[in-house]
Amino acid sequence: MLRLAAVRLLTSLVVVFGSLVLVFVVVYLLPGDPVSAVVDVSAVSPEVLASLRAEMGVDQPFHIQFFSYVGGVVQGDFGQSLLNDEPVLPKILQHFPATLTLTLASALIAASFGIWFGVLSAIHRNGWIDIAARIIGLFGISMPTFWSGILLILIFSVSLGWFPAMGSGSLRTLVLPAFALGIVGAGFIVRLVRNSMLEVINEPFILTLRAKGISERLVMYRHALRSALIPALTMIGVLSGELMAGTVVIETVFARQGIGRVITDALMSKDLPVVQGVVFFSAVIYVLINLLVDLSYRFIDPRVRRAQ
Amino acid sequence: MAATRITISGGKRNTNWRGSLASLLALVLFLAGCGNSGSGSDAGSPAPSQPAESAAAAGNAPVPGGELTFALATSPDHLDPHRSGLAVAVRVIRTLYDNLVAQAPDGSIQPWLAKEWTVSPDGKSYTFKLREDVKFHDGTPFNAEAVKFSYDRILDPATKAANSSALIRPYESAEVVDEYTIKLNLSSPSNAFLGNLSQALVSIVSPTAARKYGDQFTKNPVGTGPFKFVKWEENAAITVERNPDYNWAPPLVENQGPAYLDRVIFKIVPEEATRIGSVQSGQILAGETVPPQNIVSLEQEGKLQIFKSNTQGLPYTLFINGKHAPWNETKARQALQAAIDVDTIVQTLYLGTYDRAWSALTPGTLGYDASLEGGIKPDLEKAKSLLDELGWVPGDDGIRVKDGQKLSLHYVDSSPNREKRNDIAVFIQQQLKAIGVAVEIEITKDVATVVFQGANYDIYGNSQVNSDPEALRAFYHSASVLPGAPQNLPGYANPELDRLLDQGLIETDPATRVDLYKQAQQIISRDAVIIPIYVFPYTVAAAKTVKNLRFDALAYPLFNDVVIQS
Repeated sequence: MLRLAAVRLLTSLVVVFGSLVLVFVVVYLLPGDPVSAVVDVSAVSPEVLASLRAEMGVDQPFHIQFFSYVGGVVQGDFGQSLLNDEPVLPKILQHFPATLTLTLASALIAASFGIWFGVLSAIHRNGWIDIAARIIGLFGISMPTFWSGILLILIFSVSLGWFPAMGSGSLRTLVLPAFALGIVGAGFIVRLVRNSMLEVINEPFILTLRAKGISERLVMYRHALRSALIPALTMIGVLSGELMAGTVVIETVFARQGIGRVITDALMSKDLPVVQGVVFFSAVIYVLINLLVDLSYRFIDPRVRRAQ
Repeated sequence: MAATRITISGGKRNTNWRGSLASLLALVLFLAGCGNSGSGSDAGSPAPSQPAESAAAAGNAPVPGGELTFALATSPDHLDPHRSGLAVAVRVIRTLYDNLVAQAPDGSIQPWLAKEWTVSPDGKSYTFKLREDVKFHDGTPFNAEAVKFSYDRILDPATKAANSSALIRPYESAEVVDEYTIKLNLSSPSNAFLGNLSQALVSIVSPTAARKYGDQFTKNPVGTGPFKFVKWEENAAITVERNPDYNWAPPLVENQGPAYLDRVIFKIVPEEATRIGSVQSGQILAGETVPPQNIVSLEQEGKLQIFKSNTQGLPYTLFINGKHAPWNETKARQALQAAIDVDTIVQTLYLGTYDRAWSALTPGTLGYDASLEGGIKPDLEKAKSLLDELGWVPGDDGIRVKDGQKLSLHYVDSSPNREKRNDIAVFIQQQLKAIGVAVEIEITKDVATVVFQGANYDIYGNSQVNSDPEALRAFYHSASVLPGAPQNLPGYANPELDRLLDQGLIETDPATRVDLYKQAQQIISRDAVIIPIYVFPYTVAAAKTVKNLRFDALAYPLFNDVVIQS
């Protein structure tokens, strides 16, 4: 088990390093002069531009720039914002809690609605509740979040006035964005839980339980759901990436603070060190979540433990 | 593993799917209904401005107090005026800082922090008498030293000045004559100088604070403006509060004393539907940059008010690259001029909320030549015959050919699709097809390389907010070539036009100066150097309780007079 964890950790580190290389190369290859993010290039003398380039280090060859960046990252230095000289990592850490809150809230909505509707729709297969759940599933998966987000604003802010259309900080501002994003995850989970419930229901052990005279409710919620949930748990790792990516759009639509907004703004103002930092940071978080899911899976499913 | 589980066994799937589809449609219709009621009758909504009658009380003495929430479309880059390059930052900067002079909507220059001024006969030095009762938010007295510090700061490379470095030109040095008199020396005379000094990006900063905070002055801005900086929550809000000592407002506003509002909170709300939705739902009182379709529906609905102010300077203009064959021929450019139906484009895309542009300058800019209005009418036959004259004959596919070459036009526009400019390209593509020109559209993020360095375009569109017709120089003067670039934007060089622009910069008689710029616009129009498209209006949607929002000459909002009626 320990050996396995060590192997997993090691592969995760390789993935993290790979993403670091990728992020750096992609940003390096972006067209345009990084100096133009700082000054009006047309109004400044060539000497000033040259000294700025030197100060930013962008006049160095690729490999020097790369190793100095990696060296910094290893020591927790992600560089400085070109726009206002702010160090990148503290900036990310300052904004990450808001994004994490949104991601967790939407994951909670995704899981509770997804599992609930998934079970109901499997139990009442082809009933109206099943149809409704599948529509929600379809919606969740196929609706772009910027669209569903705006729809939620129109209905619940502009028309009904129940929730604020934008902002961050209070719980009330969290509701609409968390739903807009959570419905995506719910869509995936509904489908998954429904299908695995349907499969489990047909298995012999359910028949045995029913034959023993255990109430249908208990059979479904205690026994069938438990088995059916295992694939849903693995889904969380994949979904976390989906949800984190979704925050970029959702934070912009709902004007929330978070690292999604940080990277959008940084892209617009060509603040490349910030772009690099956020992308790499997100990659690390994603790898970390999947590592945890991977490891916890072995505790949850006895079959996996036995297989080792 | 998950993928295999998604397949459902059983032949009933097909009918289920159909059932789902029907329900889905029903749901979509339901949601659409909700959406409509939002922008339509709006029965159960907490409308932001219930008592429309209170608007009638506008004539009463303003009651100080209240908090204005004002949504900005993007985040300001800097609150240090000298380092900012974004118009959105100016909305906030205008509240925090003042300038030596102010520009009235008619283009005239008015006193502000400077009471009066004289210009030397050679036009190379300006002597300002400053107000003596002004102080910065941090208590630092405003004086000649502060003016010198501010302008020298823009020239200092360590400041990393952005747009201000172009605006301050041709400023060279300042001499403090006495505490409240300052002489500014220019390297060459410039009629645009005073207008530029009125712009927010060259406003006066507190020397004490700028020295103390250095690089971080942008996060701790201190000026002499009607509002004091309180806090900047990144990507969320910027708060400013009333400066109780303020007593030196420009003549552009009625209220010469402290602002009536306690506070202005600028919320940063990039998504336009959310921004306008927040105003509609009453979460905030005002939001800027209202999309045309919203202007139309909000005006019909009548629950909110729309403030609108046209920007000055250069309208959104399509520059035809006169260095690229066949568009180096005046007749070929005139064919484009005659084939492009600007009215249809502007009316269709902006639903009558934007004005169509006729000239290289916008109406309201000093020297604007109104006689050009209505001058060029769409005329396909004229366009076709002009191309015929040049030897371009229609080929089999309708596209004209000459010497085995197809008549194509490389139309470059930038991404993201600001003000639907990408859609203009598509319209023009359609319209030029009618005269046998094949338009290839290239949408790029890297305008700097493609357009400015590479000159790889036949048409490229641009606009510039500016306080003076001298703005024409950067685009049309043959010497206005960026470092590393092969040509000016229209690839146009005309000694006569150069002479007019050079003369306009130094001409001391105002009437003669206006005439010079009129001639310049006529030449640009006659030679079909450009296709002017639209004048951009700065728009604000606000609750009806918000009164007296005013705008400066460049359409930036002024909050000095604003009151919120309860």
